[in-house]
Amino acid sequence: MEPVQNPFSQQRNSQHAKETAVKVTLILFTYTIIIAAIAIFGKIIYEGSPVLWQKGWSFFTKKPQTLFVNQVEKGEGIEIPAKNFEGLLANNPDAEHWLANVTEFEKPADFIQFDLLKNSRIGSGYLSELESLNPDFYIIYTERDIDSPVGFIIQSDKEFSLPQADYDALKAADPTLLPDEHSKREIKLNQFRITLAAGEYPIGKDAHDALVSTELVFQMRQTFADDEPDKINRTVIPYDQTITVSGNVYFTAFDEDERGTLPLKSMEQIPFTRTFHDFTLPASSYHTLAHALAILEKHGVQHNHDTAKGSIIVNENTRQLTAPRAFWDALTRSNPQLKTANVTTTTVNTPFVRFDISKDTEILLDTEDRESIAAANDATGKFKTTSEETHSYSGGGVIGPIIGTGLLVIICMLVALFTGIAASVFLNEYARKGGFVKTIRLAMLNLAGVPSIVFGLFGLGLFVILAPCVTSTPKSSSAWMVPLVKIGSQPDLRIIEQKQIYIAQHADLGSSELSTLAAADGAKHVYDGWIWLSLQGWGTSILAGGFTLAMMVLPVIITSCEESLRAVPMGFREASLALGASKWQSIRTAVLPYAFPGILTASVLGITRVAGETAPIMFTAAVAEKSELPWEGLKSTGFDAFLDFLQSSAQALPYHIYTVAGRIPQSEYTQPMQYGSVLVFMLIVMFFAAISVGLRIRVRKKLKW
Amino acid sequence: MNSQHTHSIDPTANLSGQAVATPEPEPPKAPPRKSQPPSTRTAMQTSIQNSPEGKTMIEIDDLSFSYDNGKTNTLHNISLDIPEKQVTAFIGPSGCGKSTLLRCLNRMNDLVDTSCITNGKIKIMGQDINAKHVSPIELRKQVGMVFQKYNPFPKSIYDNVAYGLRIQGIKKKSVLDESVERSLHGAALWDEVKDRLKDSALGLSGGQQQRLCIARTIAVRPKVILMDEPCSALDPIATAKVEELMLELRKDFTIVIVTHSMQQASRISDRTAFFYIGELIEYDNTANIFTNPSVKQTEDYISGRFG
Ligand SMILES: Nc1ncnc2c1ncn2[C@@H]1O[C@H](COP(=O)(O)OP(=O)(O)OP(=O)(O)O)[C@@H](O)[C@H]1O
Ligand SMILES: [Mg+2]
Repeated sequence: MEPVQNPFSQQRNSQHAKETAVKVTLILFTYTIIIAAIAIFGKIIYEGSPVLWQKGWSFFTKKPQTLFVNQVEKGEGIEIPAKNFEGLLANNPDAEHWLANVTEFEKPADFIQFDLLKNSRIGSGYLSELESLNPDFYIIYTERDIDSPVGFIIQSDKEFSLPQADYDALKAADPTLLPDEHSKREIKLNQFRITLAAGEYPIGKDAHDALVSTELVFQMRQTFADDEPDKINRTVIPYDQTITVSGNVYFTAFDEDERGTLPLKSMEQIPFTRTFHDFTLPASSYHTLAHALAILEKHGVQHNHDTAKGSIIVNENTRQLTAPRAFWDALTRSNPQLKTANVTTTTVNTPFVRFDISKDTEILLDTEDRESIAAANDATGKFKTTSEETHSYSGGGVIGPIIGTGLLVIICMLVALFTGIAASVFLNEYARKGGFVKTIRLAMLNLAGVPSIVFGLFGLGLFVILAPCVTSTPKSSSAWMVPLVKIGSQPDLRIIEQKQIYIAQHADLGSSELSTLAAADGAKHVYDGWIWLSLQGWGTSILAGGFTLAMMVLPVIITSCEESLRAVPMGFREASLALGASKWQSIRTAVLPYAFPGILTASVLGITRVAGETAPIMFTAAVAEKSELPWEGLKSTGFDAFLDFLQSSAQALPYHIYTVAGRIPQSEYTQPMQYGSVLVFMLIVMFFAAISVGLRIRVRKKLKW
Repeated sequence: MNSQHTHSIDPTANLSGQAVATPEPEPPKAPPRKSQPPSTRTAMQTSIQNSPEGKTMIEIDDLSFSYDNGKTNTLHNISLDIPEKQVTAFIGPSGCGKSTLLRCLNRMNDLVDTSCITNGKIKIMGQDINAKHVSPIELRKQVGMVFQKYNPFPKSIYDNVAYGLRIQGIKKKSVLDESVERSLHGAALWDEVKDRLKDSALGLSGGQQQRLCIARTIAVRPKVILMDEPCSALDPIATAKVEELMLELRKDFTIVIVTHSMQQASRISDRTAFFYIGELIEYDNTANIFTNPSVKQTEDYISGRFG
């Protein structure tokens, strides 16, 4: 019997070897990636998790803190609030070596509750302290009197040289402020009234620069480049003109311009004098009116506020303010015209910890803990620090960046989803398939490829410095502004106090005149009793950042929205239309609901992408350091407060990581913060990614047609 | 979408009420066909002489239709009158334009940007449906459509049937309940689904889903129901049920059905139109078409000798 030949026997061995080689190579590449990923994630988890473990919740609940490395002498009976004691333990894993006799106790503290009544006179320092003790209590400056008295202290004698106008204003405001002794200086100046004939003339750069600031109407044939100071260009004066110029301009443009010659038809010298008043305010404590101080501030006085002297009349009743006993005592003692009612005392027991430090040691404290331990032992002097080193950002706390990133993502997704859904519904359902739609799609593809830093610059140009604002105090640097309605009430004087506002005397000046006047006055804002629509941008703000991020994810969102819309069967639209639905009805009831899950998944993916971007927010929203959350420290109320909130800057996680890892001096204390922050960030991103995966699985299961 | 109308002309009125007032077409005489070259069309002329008995619901007059802005015509000079409350079947080989013609009747082709009617008119209840002041939305409320692939919305059975009424702004529960029940009865589906109205429509069998689509269509009380191969995705038993249903619906509605099944056409239709490459070849009583076709092409097609 013939042996049966195997019909499938291996024909060529070389082929087998080749197959194996290919397979091994593929496996190698795959495993390299996996190993690299494990190495990176492993390192982050390995280094980051001890930080989170040690610091616990304080890593999340505190804002970025500076770490203070203190050399502390041994001492007994040191007191610290219990919650700060936890922070102390978190920052000092080696505490068991020097900590002794830890006892917990309750420290009673009296708090006074009271109603503040109308017509109370209260020192401005006390008022601001009250405001910080009671977050909901704020007397907006518009309700405060512009003539409110302020107190200020000058540390060293200050010489002033005031022009006549300011001197008069100061004298009118508060004559008692001016010392008896003062000297008057008159400076004689010349103005020149000149007539220029129409024609074309050569002109040098200096002359040109001088003439630009005058009223002269002229055109240059060419512009002057900065690197050619000696160049001469030809200028055209279109018609005969008579202008008045200062001596400076006259000498530069006509007397000294050797390179060019502008012919003068006539010249007339007009002498005038400017008066200056020179006087010295000796170092002392003063008591005057707010706007008198504002004039002095304009001329560069350096001062501290004297809270005991300046006072404000409260013109509203405020209920239920709270203050600690010590502050209350000082308040009632120093403010005799304070009117209060319903004064009650409550005793609150705060948990405290008392401990000994058994030997001289090194203690790490973050800002909050350091302040509270210092305050608690201030009187006894038991907590003695010999030297102190500071390490920025090393005290933990990522709540600020997390919240900032959250706000940015929310604003971004609101904008991107509304715009994206609108655009994709238009492109997919309404637009005729043709060149136009193709062009838009192509543009969008290109947009998706634009580097994110370019979006950052785009956002800076568009949202930070050019976006439209409606405001009563537009910036004098506004690119363009139109008046909308006249309100005529006082501006928010908070800005005046910051010396940034120019108040126009006439209500009907043009925008350019206002800007010029304000710029001459050194003011950043103008006010003339109108509400303006002003292209002045939103500043470095979460609003600008959110919009910039939205522009960046828009292509992605639109593409995936379109995909979701396309996945809805044509039959739904047809069936709905055949039942008599209008186009929008059919989209709303038979298309969007079924595209929605897909859109949702896409937007979650968009969120993870947006949350991780650094470049677009670098110029538009993020700041490296901010001790307040975006909604804290707003001095306005109601809707204005919401606008201010939107226009406030914030920290953001990716930018925070960049700061911690790359921009501050590195030390052994900064490194754990890097890993900790990165781990937190990674967990957040993974959380969103998991949501997105889960959503997709659910959606796939639920919607099948 | 030219949805708005002047005060003087109300499309709904035109489409519903005034139809009674329009002069009834004289049954024995075919309307004059202007553009047909007499030599080639004589055979058809004679067959069309047999105009339907009863009132005419839809008048198609010399219709040419193009999918590409008039460059090439997909339908060529179609003329036929569809009688009220009867079943009219469109048959013909694939790609001959049956669906296209059907979709012209409720202006579904508006969805194709480049489509246009290059010649002729369609009148439903005496009103030119492509006239300027006719709103396609109002038209589609009167001329409903059932599609080849059953396409209930992924909602509950109840919501599917109530959909048409809800988009008309009817929210009253009692009205909706009553209408849903009546429509499901009308579609012979009530007994099968009455206990699970809140369940997803996608849980129904294919035949049930198609009947649900019919129920959804009749819920808005149209005058005409267009059906594009309604049974092609169904098995014989489900098909039989839908066919039974159509014979029932015939009492209240004018039905136009596209079908590939000769048996189906002969079973349920009163009149049959045979199309070939965009032209109407023959249009007659179904009995005549199937027993005694006057054109050779028709005979070849129905006897399966086509080629
Ligand atoms: N949306 C469209 N755009 C362009 N051409 C189309 C479109 N729909 C159909 N056509 C063309 O019009 C012609 C008629 O198509 P139609 O769908 O009316 O045929 P039909 O008779 O219904 O065929 P079937 O029996 O296969 O359904 C075909 O040649 C088809 O390619
Ligand atoms: Mg078809």
